[in-house]
Amino acid sequence: MSLVEARGLTKIFRRPEKDPGLRGSLKHLVQRRFKDFRAVDGIDLSIEAGESVAYVGPNGAGKSTTIKLLTGILVPTAGTVRVAGAEPHTDRMVNARNIGVLFGQRTQLWWDLPVRESLALLRDMYDLSPAFYKQRLERLDEVLGLADLLPVVARKLSLGQRMRADLAAALLHQPKIVYLDEPTIGLDISVKDRVRQFLRELRQDGTTLMLTTHDLGDIEDVCERIVIIDEGRKIFDGPLAQMKDRFARVRRMHLQLAEPTPVEKLAERLPDVEVIAGDSPTEVTVTFDRFTHTAGQIIAGVLDVVEVGELHLDEPAIEDVVRKVYAGELLR
Amino acid sequence: MRPYLGLLRMSTRRILTYRLNSLILWIGGATFLAGSLAVWHALLSQGAIGGYDWDQMKAYLLVGWATASIGSAYGDWWMASRIFDGHVATDLTKPLDYQWARFSEHMGGLATEFIAIAIAATAIVTFTGGLVVPGPGQALLFAVSFLLVAPLKFTIAYITTMACFWTQNFMGVSWAKDAVVTLFSGALIPLALLPAWLAGPAAVLPFASITATPAALYLGQATGWEALRLLAVQAAWVLVLWWGARLIWRRALRALTVHGG
Repeated sequence: MSLVEARGLTKIFRRPEKDPGLRGSLKHLVQRRFKDFRAVDGIDLSIEAGESVAYVGPNGAGKSTTIKLLTGILVPTAGTVRVAGAEPHTDRMVNARNIGVLFGQRTQLWWDLPVRESLALLRDMYDLSPAFYKQRLERLDEVLGLADLLPVVARKLSLGQRMRADLAAALLHQPKIVYLDEPTIGLDISVKDRVRQFLRELRQDGTTLMLTTHDLGDIEDVCERIVIIDEGRKIFDGPLAQMKDRFARVRRMHLQLAEPTPVEKLAERLPDVEVIAGDSPTEVTVTFDRFTHTAGQIIAGVLDVVEVGELHLDEPAIEDVVRKVYAGELLR
Repeated sequence: MRPYLGLLRMSTRRILTYRLNSLILWIGGATFLAGSLAVWHALLSQGAIGGYDWDQMKAYLLVGWATASIGSAYGDWWMASRIFDGHVATDLTKPLDYQWARFSEHMGGLATEFIAIAIAATAIVTFTGGLVVPGPGQALLFAVSFLLVAPLKFTIAYITTMACFWTQNFMGVSWAKDAVVTLFSGALIPLALLPAWLAGPAAVLPFASITATPAALYLGQATGWEALRLLAVQAAWVLVLWWGARLIWRRALRALTVHGG
């Protein structure tokens, strides 16, 4: 059995339906109407030990709700979940020992006390031996630069420092599976890079990772598998490379020509693709659909007109793909 | 056990972090106690009311104020705010029993509350010329009853807090609870002075165990079997509310919505 198994996972929230204005609010007092809102709608998901999964989707797609169902915070309306054999919302305390959770937007540190105190309390909560605790702190210090943060009161940390301390808090007990809900939200580039580096090392340590993010830079180099959800439903689940193959149709070729050539001449020779002039008269960019043309055909076409010096091909960016998914372009 | 003791210590430290806030809270409470003493001193200058003379009323007001102080430093507001600002999500991913964890934090306030109570008692002895003290037997009964006030007040606050899962707001529920508790516990005036239509509900509600019971034991109004009966009722309420809270909690989790992030 997989480490994480969800079948038909569904969460329905009830939302009050109010007409606009004071009238609407008063009417709602006497005649209450509610509308069901399916935040998560029949999701099937299996995650094997050691996998690292990116869980992406537009705002309100149901990412965080799924994480909260998998961590036992929310009780599902329908469907089943098993994490390392335990049902998270009924065996909450058993499950809690297997998992580490980071909510980027909420801290689990004790706000009014030094970071060290929070970590010491977590040590007691997870029953860690003094030797293990010391060794974990050293390891986390290596990758997160924790030592400077330990004596600081949590509310006085900057956002980046807080995130590092929170990551340490989530990983202190070396959990089997780690859920990270937007771990880089609001961080500047240098801190982001540091967190990403840390995620890569975490993955190399063999930790199972599930991460939600809006920043697709978090995914590359960290996750080999991507799950895309929208309106509570899973719309893609597979290797990152496969997603690019399947959805990234557009490729871009940048060419350095031997002599200045008007783009019209090239466009005439390559009728179904887009040819755009580059920064200098000897540079052009050709954008083509890789389902209708191969890179070879494009090069051959250009060579009919002019000699080519250098060329390079843009790999499809996941941003482009996910953007299209969000815009609903890929579903049909 | 260790993590719960850890939480208790953390809670005490958190309260000590906000020394100024705690001090202001305590000055406000002390002002109320001084005011009550002054009002009753004037009222009782004509003679005893409802069986209370000035010396007994002084002791009653101190016990009432002390029982009202229990749990005030931790503040059920704090517990409630973690529910509606969503921090409950991080609490729920810890390998701790939620109710015991919150109880430990509640008990973390006791240290500062006991200090405040000791100061108030000393002040009364110093400025009003002494205080009625119970004999050793009654003192023991009172001590047991006073210790039961802490879990009793916790369960009431905890159950009230869980209303947040449905109301999404705490203000109304909290004020309603405070009003009901103050009136029916006897903290406002002794229950013996209430008219029959209020004394009736007061007798069957759990709130009398908060103030009326410890006060009756302190003043020796209840002795022997009657004293033990009151203690049994108090303990029974603690158990009923503790397990009742567990049932409500299970339902509350189904109603939990954590918005955003």
